[in-house]
Amino acid sequence: MKNFHVAIIGGGVIGSSIAWELSKYKLDVVVFEMGSDVASGASKANSGVVHSGINSPPSSLKARYCVEGNKILQSLADNLGFPLKWIGKYVIAKNEEEIKELERLKKVGIENCVPGLKIKNGAEVTEPNISCFAALWVPTAGIVSPYKFTMAFAENAAENDVKFLLETKVTNLIKHKDCFILKTNKGEYQSLLVVNAAGLNCREIISMVEKPDFNVYPCRGEYLVLDKKHSSLINSMIYPVPPKELGVLGVHITPTIGGNILLGPSAEFIDDTENKKTTREMMKTLIIEGRKIIPAISDRAVINAYSGIRCKLASPEEGGWSDYRIEESKQVSGLISLLGIESPGLTGAPAIAKDVVRMISQSIELKFKDNFKFAKIKRKRFSEMSVKERSDFIKKDERWGRIVCRCEQITEKEVIDALSNPLGAKTLSSVKYRCRAGMGRCQGGFCTQHIIRIIKKQFNMDVKNIKLRSPDSNLFFGRTREVRNE
Amino acid sequence: MTKDKEITCIVCPIGCKILVDLDGKQIKNLEGNKCKQGIDYAINEALDPRRMLTSSILVIGGNWPLVSIKSSQPVPRDKVFQVLKEIKKIKVKAPIKLGQIILTNIANTNINIIATKSIEKL
Amino acid sequence: MSNQDVDVAVIGGGPAGLAAAVSAKEHGAKHVVILDRNSWLGGILPQCIHDGFGVEETGESMTGPEYAEKYISMAQQQNIGVMNETMVLHFDKKREIIAVNKKGIHKIKAKTIVLAMGCREKTRWSAMIPGDRPSGIFTAGVAQSFINLYNIMPGKNVVILGSGDVGLIIARRLKFEGANVLGVIEILPYASGLPRNVVQCLDDYDIPLFLNHTVTSIEGRERLERIAIAQVNKNMNPISGTERQIKCDTLLLSLGLIPENELLKNADIKIDEITGGPVVDQNLETTLGGVFACGNCLQVYDTVDMLSIDAKRAGKNAAKYNKSKKLKTSIKLIAGKGVRYVVPQKIDVAGTVHITLRSEKPQEKSILWIIENDKIILRKKLRFVNPANMVKLVIEIPPEVVKSGHKLEVIIDDKR
Repeated sequence: MKNFHVAIIGGGVIGSSIAWELSKYKLDVVVFEMGSDVASGASKANSGVVHSGINSPPSSLKARYCVEGNKILQSLADNLGFPLKWIGKYVIAKNEEEIKELERLKKVGIENCVPGLKIKNGAEVTEPNISCFAALWVPTAGIVSPYKFTMAFAENAAENDVKFLLETKVTNLIKHKDCFILKTNKGEYQSLLVVNAAGLNCREIISMVEKPDFNVYPCRGEYLVLDKKHSSLINSMIYPVPPKELGVLGVHITPTIGGNILLGPSAEFIDDTENKKTTREMMKTLIIEGRKIIPAISDRAVINAYSGIRCKLASPEEGGWSDYRIEESKQVSGLISLLGIESPGLTGAPAIAKDVVRMISQSIELKFKDNFKFAKIKRKRFSEMSVKERSDFIKKDERWGRIVCRCEQITEKEVIDALSNPLGAKTLSSVKYRCRAGMGRCQGGFCTQHIIRIIKKQFNMDVKNIKLRSPDSNLFFGRTREVRNE
Repeated sequence: MTKDKEITCIVCPIGCKILVDLDGKQIKNLEGNKCKQGIDYAINEALDPRRMLTSSILVIGGNWPLVSIKSSQPVPRDKVFQVLKEIKKIKVKAPIKLGQIILTNIANTNINIIATKSIEKL
Repeated sequence: MSNQDVDVAVIGGGPAGLAAAVSAKEHGAKHVVILDRNSWLGGILPQCIHDGFGVEETGESMTGPEYAEKYISMAQQQNIGVMNETMVLHFDKKREIIAVNKKGIHKIKAKTIVLAMGCREKTRWSAMIPGDRPSGIFTAGVAQSFINLYNIMPGKNVVILGSGDVGLIIARRLKFEGANVLGVIEILPYASGLPRNVVQCLDDYDIPLFLNHTVTSIEGRERLERIAIAQVNKNMNPISGTERQIKCDTLLLSLGLIPENELLKNADIKIDEITGGPVVDQNLETTLGGVFACGNCLQVYDTVDMLSIDAKRAGKNAAKYNKSKKLKTSIKLIAGKGVRYVVPQKIDVAGTVHITLRSEKPQEKSILWIIENDKIILRKKLRFVNPANMVKLVIEIPPEVVKSGHKLEVIIDDKR
């Protein structure tokens, strides 16, 4: 049984950013992720927004981590090579009444030290397809690709010897003397400290060692993805003034790093933390809400739909808002839990990770590694290269010249690189989220067969074991004609 | 004993429902067809329905794992699955030429199985 | 970057591209090249292993791979250049094509271009089917390629949404491979595919066809576990209370096809919103001179036969293209009452014009009219029309009609 200094439960953005911070030190760190890849839960299914800090009450943890995270994000993007764009956001007021709400947000923002906030009148808003009475301009809001962001942390952590155990679910946690025993579907592990970054399952993990003093209220948010050809509709993010209830920001319109537009999310409290269904009603509602902001939006523009689930610690009756809880268990020392990390958790993650490492340093002496490997800055995508760059790359490796995903112009080389990730994730979605093959308007109609061909040829996998996204999401039932000695 | 059989005509996109009154192997009456072509089809379909059969056969050492095939003539409908069973059992070595006979007299039908694609040897 | 000059560059090496290239060569084009993204020619034909291809065109029934090989060998005999595993990245108004393959980036200056990019399948999201996002949901064409080309079995207990010919044929194919086909769901009150395929692909194997039904939900967090289907009302909305569940591991979508025309954006070629293909004249020339269109990127055809016949005209016209002959006046051909669309959308030379169109709804007996103002250009009795079956006509357009500059309206009416 392998002994670790720190075991992190959950490979979402929180677990992965903590793993990355810890990978700088001489420690044995392990991450248990029950999905087939990191960013399998809420970290994947959100708006990908880098928040500025205007939405959380001053002195809350949410505000503090959001503002701190926002400040360090650019240097992280430079070091880790994930895409980040500071496109800014407008919160729009539809009438005079709503201007009061803009003023309130501006005041909160100023208290949280958010720079550059400005209320503009309708005519000053630089969005040709938006008509509004007035809008709050938030220049320090940006976008990332939420999964690439998470993967950047996880992959560089793995390159620095953090062990990522995918498809590994912690089934029991036992404190034994000075140590934790973690039982999983893939065997037992031991660790001095445990970080509970299990997101929606944070309560389940705590229940293994003590009686939790809180409840989790899953709140589902559905999204629609619009075809790239509509990307010129907006330049920045467009938010309505936040609805009064549920502690959410309302259906907004967000450009994505990949060039699509997102419409959503809805907010619906549900009983089941795994119920990631999209619904007919909500799809219609999102179109209606979206049209209130941009009348030109058509349901024919939709190329995909998904939902993510917020981990809320307050029930709808309580208003749906509560602050994060980041704390070491008082009863079971060595168990650090991160509870209720919902929006703006993506933005706050790097700052949260630094704080968690500070907490860990009180139990374990941390010494920097001298051989820390910085992330290899990711190469440009083929679709972003100049003609000269393309020619040069193809000359070096002809696989740069074979396009396998037409919609997104992804080459065979990029697919192979995605499949060679240091985490060992090899699902169709692992490819899609790393290099965008299959993310375009045909949704895998052309590239799926090529990716399967590459997986079979380059990685010698049996077709039966090729999965879509999660541990039991196998795509095929073997061969039509059984080939012996395969 | 007479028996009515409803047959959907496939000669054109209208798809007439033709009612065939059958006494053993004798056609007693036929109605519902909007044109003459439907008559021949309905009679054949009532007495001896046959189908062209297409499928694929496993290839050894080829540039594709399968070769597509067809029956040399339409197969009696009630023998389709027997023929398919035979087809699934065999494999054939590349190279294969389009039109090549892969199996003769399959399932004792006097019908051959023919490659509909050329496969190169790897 | 390599440079080459060609007479005719054909984008896409499926049936349309092959027919166009062969025809261009036959009509005098010297240097003809086909650019195709796959490692093989024939496009989707090699995976369409069923027969029935070529009957209208040649009188002989062939399977898809046979039909493809026939054209491929013609192309080989005529020394048509082929660049496969080659993706066209864009082309511009000067008809300069930029393409990429393993040898590098290629610039191809073409006197004329024939567009033959084909189409793609509609996905789950074009029908906005809600629910979980498990594995086991494939478009019918993707499933067909796995079964027939790659020897991979995509499902065991299968439901098919959409009763077009593709959906019907894949139902039989799955049955042949030992899968349990639980039903074909069709939102319309009638099957979209040919009666022949309803009989020979469903009825023969007792596969149920659920008309006036649609899939309302998808369930399964990992692999598909079940779907819900419901009856629909006249507006095609699900009727509450009619929902029922079907346990299955696979859902195949045969929802229709969308012409692939993303390349046209860069060259500013006008697209017809209804066909999804470029606006063309009687020569199948697009709004950019010297660029012709054919095949499923022009309009989605019912049969490869009709597609090839039109594609040959595109190839011939590309070979004979002469910029200076071009007249400036053109008249519009418009889909009127009862007609969903008409191709070509404009005519600029009097004479024989080949027209293809689709009706708006099925009708037993009807009359097709082509009208200029109140003048009748054509009156033709139609025996049976159905939106799923393309109507093909050849008409003579007199010079005075073209000179008039008036639009021509095509109408399908059950009266008069």
